[in-house]
Amino acid sequence: MTSTDSRRLSMPDYDAVVIGAGNGGLTAALSLAKKGLKVLLLERHNIPGGCATSFVRGRFEFEVALHQLSGMGTEKRPGPLQGILGELGILDKVEFVEMENLYRFVIPGKCDITLRADRAAVERTLQEEFPDEKEAIERFFALVYKFCSEMVSVAFLRDPEASWEKYPTYFKYALKPSQKILDEYFKNPFLKAVLSAYWGYMGLPPRLLPFGDLAVLLWAYIEFKPFHIKGSSQALSNGILDCFLQAGGEVRFNCGAQKILLKEGKIRGVRTEEGNEVGAKYVISNASTLSTYLELIGQENIPGDVLTALGTKTIGPSAFTVFVGMDCTPENLGIKETTNFIGTNIDADQEFARWRTLNQPTFMGLSCYNVSDPDFSPPGTCLVDLVKLQYIDPWLTVPPTQYAEAKYKYAQGMLDIAEKVFPNFQDYIEEIEVGTPLTHMRYLGHPAGAIYGFDQHAKDSPLFEERRSPIPGLFFAGAWVGSGGYQPTLMSGVSAAKAVLKSMAKK
Amino acid sequence: MEITDFRKDIEGFEEIQKEVAVLRKYAFDYSSQKGRAAQIVDLLHPKRLNLRVAEIRQETPSTKIFHLVSSDSYLPPFQAGQYINLSVEVGGLRTSRPYSIASAPNQIGYYEIAIRRAEDGFVSNFLLDKLQVGDPMESTSPSGNLYYNPLAHGKDLVFLAGGSGITPFMSMIREATERGLDRRIHLIYGSQNPADIIYANELSDRAQQHGNLKMDIVISDPPAGYRGLAGFISGGLIRRLIGEVTAKTFYLCGPEVMYAFCLKELESLGIPRKKTRTEVFGPPKDVTRQPGWPAEVKGDAQFQIVYMGKKSISAKAREPLMISLEREGIVLPASCRSGECSLCRTKLVSGKVFQPRGVKLRKSDQVFGYIHPCLAYPLSDLELR
Repeated sequence: MTSTDSRRLSMPDYDAVVIGAGNGGLTAALSLAKKGLKVLLLERHNIPGGCATSFVRGRFEFEVALHQLSGMGTEKRPGPLQGILGELGILDKVEFVEMENLYRFVIPGKCDITLRADRAAVERTLQEEFPDEKEAIERFFALVYKFCSEMVSVAFLRDPEASWEKYPTYFKYALKPSQKILDEYFKNPFLKAVLSAYWGYMGLPPRLLPFGDLAVLLWAYIEFKPFHIKGSSQALSNGILDCFLQAGGEVRFNCGAQKILLKEGKIRGVRTEEGNEVGAKYVISNASTLSTYLELIGQENIPGDVLTALGTKTIGPSAFTVFVGMDCTPENLGIKETTNFIGTNIDADQEFARWRTLNQPTFMGLSCYNVSDPDFSPPGTCLVDLVKLQYIDPWLTVPPTQYAEAKYKYAQGMLDIAEKVFPNFQDYIEEIEVGTPLTHMRYLGHPAGAIYGFDQHAKDSPLFEERRSPIPGLFFAGAWVGSGGYQPTLMSGVSAAKAVLKSMAKK
Repeated sequence: MEITDFRKDIEGFEEIQKEVAVLRKYAFDYSSQKGRAAQIVDLLHPKRLNLRVAEIRQETPSTKIFHLVSSDSYLPPFQAGQYINLSVEVGGLRTSRPYSIASAPNQIGYYEIAIRRAEDGFVSNFLLDKLQVGDPMESTSPSGNLYYNPLAHGKDLVFLAGGSGITPFMSMIREATERGLDRRIHLIYGSQNPADIIYANELSDRAQQHGNLKMDIVISDPPAGYRGLAGFISGGLIRRLIGEVTAKTFYLCGPEVMYAFCLKELESLGIPRKKTRTEVFGPPKDVTRQPGWPAEVKGDAQFQIVYMGKKSISAKAREPLMISLEREGIVLPASCRSGECSLCRTKLVSGKVFQPRGVKLRKSDQVFGYIHPCLAYPLSDLELR
């Protein structure tokens, strides 16, 4: 009997294989390895992180995707993510940088407001700016806080006695469109726009964005503060991977999965792109659900209802980012906040429609990491990311030979907006690089280059759907089975690992 | 999924359930999208290119021009100035070398590369001597960061080229002149002797025909009686040739010695760093003369490298780890071979390496012990993974 035969008959090579070293894949792999399991992590790129990566141009190292890390909290008031990263042993390896402010919101000539990450300060600032709506502002934040405290009981602590009577605010508001609540409470459109500015990061305009999602995000950033990572989010990815290796985990870079192998409908192992077959009864896929089922499991093996359920969903936005290395300090540019939402108007629906076109955007984010972390780039320089979400659709209409020109043209449109708020912005550029939805598709491998998985309408809430795979041994981590963003995806991997351990314990 | 617990009491739940029922009835069939992402990405950035040599021309006594066509698909677009990394097997050794594409991006039939004979040109000389029309070649798809960026480079460009460093500029010049782009280019082209100037005729033709291209050739080693510009491309010469330097963007590509010299000269002219773009260049000729090399380690010192916990190989201090690995049949992914692209990123488990200045490592890669073996040299026995 050859050794391969004996292995095939008795012990599988690994307890679990994790496909993809994005945020979810990394925490999943580490969680399992820390429990003493033998884990193989496959990553087709040459670095860990997925979105949580960096790249170097000239003397700058650019942050690819992180703008504000949620859920960390302070020493006094630790957030859920801090708890999880602490348990995983990451906190001694990576340094987190707190930001003082939520964001500055600027529509030149019309509105310019900076909100501190502090409830009383936010209310005060808004009340000073919009004195006519003083009382409404107070009531609005009372609603947000009431809603979130009920949400914690219902959704996180899973109160078995959850009911309309017990949690009236949650039951009334969770699924309401944000715009409806904003309209109920406020008159001034700029006040509504300032309070819903995060829609530009979340992926749906207030008309479509469930109030529950907006409320929780505002509350979480205020309570647990926005953070950044020293040395970019690549430092976090590298840190998690390092812990994984120390826990005995094995990683293969430049090596994706080619096929998930099944036997009688159960997971048997994975064939890698290099053509090796590895045995394992558990697979956690950090790839999209779509490519996991269609490319790795194979259509012939997809259980009945899966494709129909996926077919009710629409693929969410990707992002367009202009990465800029400046040969001057933030002060020289007049940048005072790390996070800035800037635009030319506040019509969110019109802007959302533009996410499917190559027309100049009217609203975007501008992050300057050096404001809260002066060491983010060499002395005398600073690093700025201009970012907006965008669907891939318009990029599929650009012939490959015209791609470079089209991306520069679109990026110029964003620089023009930056210029309106920060004059002479373009004169200081030392390095500049552009990432489009196609860039995301290339490096993430996700359908449509989506960075948050599927669109997150109210109907796509985890409240209403079964996200567990019907294939025994197959689990998912990442945005395609939950919400998008760093905190949710990092936590999704831990949950997936828990589910695997639970399933192992049953056997 | 049927929901019977508390969730059904959340306001708006019923409408959503109705909506989902309708959506299920008309569910989109995602199976039609199988393989689509890879297909789309391949139109821009295929992983590998299968090429064939379509034409070979002797350009100068030392240099041949090669036209490479796709043998199975099409040639992906690139930005003028980018390179491909050609894979070759020389005497049983599988390795690769990057070559800038000299043809213009608007010319989509073939990639043109120019190869010049070099004293220690292990791969170049092999290609010059052995490559025949019809031979298959394999390469990466185009990459690299020396290209015109309209967001930051302005409309006045000065190209400082040395020898075969003309190739990325050739692509940019061809594109700008053929497409009538709104850019003014001044090429200052250094060459050792006037008989060996790559693209001399084509460049002077283009400069005559297009008002937005100027060219000056500077001969470093002029024969007796040579009447053109001679010497090195100094700051004084640059200022004399181009006049006003502000608002111009300078691009530099040439041999190792030229960088050291010209970068200083540009600095002396007060040209800010952001206005100077340089091409990366491969391993230095003699790494032991690089600043920071520890004097106690001799270039021909031999070290043992354990790779992936198994294979033990021996490596010379003066040779990049990537090449020592290739000698043992271990081919790491590579594109730039200049420390920049990070494709070969490898974990240094133990031991010490020397990495010359200019290797573009991420900060956290340095912290967690990753190196770019294409431009890392062993200073002790090593374990790599």
